Amino acid sequence: MATALTSASAPRVNRRVLVAGLAIALPLVAVLVANLGRDPHSVRSPLIGRPAPPFRLVPVGGGAPVALESLHGKPVVINFWATWCVPCFQEHAALVEAARSLPAVQFLGIVYEDDEAQTGEFLRQRGTAYASLMDKDGKTAIAYGVFGVPETFFIDPEGRIVEKHVGPLDRGAILSLVARARGGGR
Amino acid sequence: MVPTLGRTLILLALLAASAGSIVGFATGARPSAAGWKWARRLAYAFAAFMALANLTMEYALLTHDFSVSYVAHVGSRAVPTWVSIVSLWSSLEGSILFWGLVMGVYVSVATWRKAGDHPEYMPYAVGVWLACGAFFSFLLAGPAQPFATIPNPALDGPGPNPLLQNHYLMVIHPPFLYSGYVGMTIPFGLACAALLVGRLGNDFIRPLRNFLLVSWIFLTCAIVLGGWWAYEVLGWGGYWAWDPVENASFLPWLTATAALHSAMLVERKGVLKGWTVILVLATYLLTILGTFMTRSGVFNSVHSFTQSAIGPTILVFLAAALLFSLVLLALRVDSLGSEGRLETGPSRDVMFLVQNLLFVLFTFTVLLGTVFPLVVEALRGAQMSVGRPYFDKLSVPIGVALLFVMGVGPALPWGRATKQQLRAALLPPLLGACVLAAVGFALGVRNLWTILALLFGGFTAQVTLSEMFLPVRQRMRARGEGFAEAFRQAQTRGRRRFGAYIVHAGAVVVIAAIAVSSTMGSSKEVQLNQGETTTLGPYQLTFAGAEQLSEPHRQSVLARVDVSKNGRSLGTLLPRMSQYENQREPIGSPAVHTGLTEDLYLSIHNFDGPSVGLLVLINPMVSWIWIATAIMALGGLVALVPSLRGSTAAAPAAGTAAVALEGSS
Repeated sequence: MATALTSASAPRVNRRVLVAGLAIALPLVAVLVANLGRDPHSVRSPLIGRPAPPFRLVPVGGGAPVALESLHGKPVVINFWATWCVPCFQEHAALVEAARSLPAVQFLGIVYEDDEAQTGEFLRQRGTAYASLMDKDGKTAIAYGVFGVPETFFIDPEGRIVEKHVGPLDRGAILSLVARARGGGR
Repeated sequence: MVPTLGRTLILLALLAASAGSIVGFATGARPSAAGWKWARRLAYAFAAFMALANLTMEYALLTHDFSVSYVAHVGSRAVPTWVSIVSLWSSLEGSILFWGLVMGVYVSVATWRKAGDHPEYMPYAVGVWLACGAFFSFLLAGPAQPFATIPNPALDGPGPNPLLQNHYLMVIHPPFLYSGYVGMTIPFGLACAALLVGRLGNDFIRPLRNFLLVSWIFLTCAIVLGGWWAYEVLGWGGYWAWDPVENASFLPWLTATAALHSAMLVERKGVLKGWTVILVLATYLLTILGTFMTRSGVFNSVHSFTQSAIGPTILVFLAAALLFSLVLLALRVDSLGSEGRLETGPSRDVMFLVQNLLFVLFTFTVLLGTVFPLVVEALRGAQMSVGRPYFDKLSVPIGVALLFVMGVGPALPWGRATKQQLRAALLPPLLGACVLAAVGFALGVRNLWTILALLFGGFTAQVTLSEMFLPVRQRMRARGEGFAEAFRQAQTRGRRRFGAYIVHAGAVVVIAAIAVSSTMGSSKEVQLNQGETTTLGPYQLTFAGAEQLSEPHRQSVLARVDVSKNGRSLGTLLPRMSQYENQREPIGSPAVHTGLTEDLYLSIHNFDGPSVGLLVLINPMVSWIWIATAIMALGGLVALVPSLRGSTAAAPAAGTAAVALEGSS
């Protein structure tokens, strides 16, 4: 758009302004059109129905690494979260409570782009009922296709992803999604 | 009855705007006194019908006329009268109706003030304004009809969104925002007129800049009032979350700020005309994009209005406005021409360019982060939010760079600077830089970016103050005037310049306050039983007990928290949880003890039997953000006043040093 800086005196079509403008405007409008009418809360993930990507991660504050394979046989709920994420603290209490009331279900947190000390402090202050794992290089988040937090995956006893939820969870949503993970999908 | 009256007024506004737009364009193309008279009449008619439609809606809201569809959506007999009044802008249809009112006021004021000037430009400008007015009238006539008739009206309604009933800031934030947003229509129309005429002279850049400045002042206040509202109401302790809708108000602010600066180069040197017009057009288009973002349901945000059918209509308008602007630019931008040349060496000229490019870079960064989730959604069918880390990582360096430019730019002379001039300009402010950074370091600032912000902030503050008072000192020295007299003379003669430096001073404080408050705070979460005490920093907090409070429209539970600082009592803070009539979820309201150096911020998480879960934060320097914004707005007003009176404070010849000019005037 710097073309405007070197303007010629003869009036004619300024192709550079037109092309630069269209290069910005067309994709923008196209994206907005493509997104019209969608519900920002609904989710479609290509991972649903597929085996959950394996991981082996160390909990916040240290300890023995947790591997997903070792949890086969029971439903698993994996919550990607961070301390900088406001919806994550909204759902934290609901998750902790669900984890306490559902001992047959394995809950796990995976920390997304956050600092270990800060995360530890957050968990110490708010309490927790399950391990949160440090995903230091972000590889697990990438494998799960996590785009933002919070995102929560519900995995059935055979290790397949049954559901993915974006945004904060409440107790009702956790219970119904866990029920699906128990039933091994729909 | 009332719905029919409302609908009739909307249709009349639509008619006046469409006819006025056609007459405006026709008169622009083939000038005639009769055409211009009719274009003006229709502009005033549009404004009058919109005002009457708004009055009708206020009447319906106040009389609880639930046969009007909008009142049935947001009205309630249980709410206080002030809530009924401000319900006009609390939901989608009403907010667009209010939008129409603001637009009517702007269009009629602009038409009236400039009716006698610029005969070749003004009909086109009125044509463009009324075309925009016609679109919003069309929205009100069809897709966002506020005056639909409800055949069997209920006896009561749900009342507006409880978040909006919670705080007086909600009364002022939207009107400021709309005044900022809608006001950008005026410079847009003027810039389009300049393109259509094919000329942008010095006489015409001034009204353009003035109307841009008016909207800029409103938008600046609106953005910060929004942050203040979030801080006082939402309860998470911050004021800015890079939410898509916050970004929507920030984007046009960035381009408008850039345009205000490049307009100075147009005025002073006759360069960057096309570039300035592009920025003004982009500013308007970004306000429409922002309108789409808040009202289409496409973006997931705390601010979103409910999903509605008007998304596609606004998108069509956005696409049409984009296409119109692009074609117009491509055809005419070259004919605006250029009367001078920009300096290339180290000079104020170049710093203006750097500043403009930084603002545009900032715009693209924020736009990309806001729209990127939608791109991913469209391409991959997956959703995401880019989140604060992206915005923080990128905006912090850009913000610090802008602070640097804001210091170095005004320190440098216009035209190419010699080595001695550079040394004389850039060395002394290093003192201010070191002092502020050292003070920050002594008070415990260790974050590198915060220290950089303080360093550049000190530099810029010294430059700003010395530039602000330079004409005063010159008068005192040259004419032997006393300080008060010299100050009065200098600032009435150079009020624009003086106003601009007030804005800069405010901006330095805002940036420093943001840097400090976002890195130097502390927080803690506690669960307290009655009588228990906790401490954070110098504060002791004692939970004295919970209290029920019953009002017609809400039931609240308040936590009485006695606060003392270093053993001295500061009184009782009352954070609360409120349950509104007809709403399911309770809404928390934080309590803030505001101080000049830091705020103590209390927010309730939960009541668990006899104990309360509290989020306690110490937020340093937050009140300086609000104070400094008021300073910025004041500076904007100061810069506006002389130009409204038509006197030209500083209209320098190209290439003359500002200093010589102001001093010799």
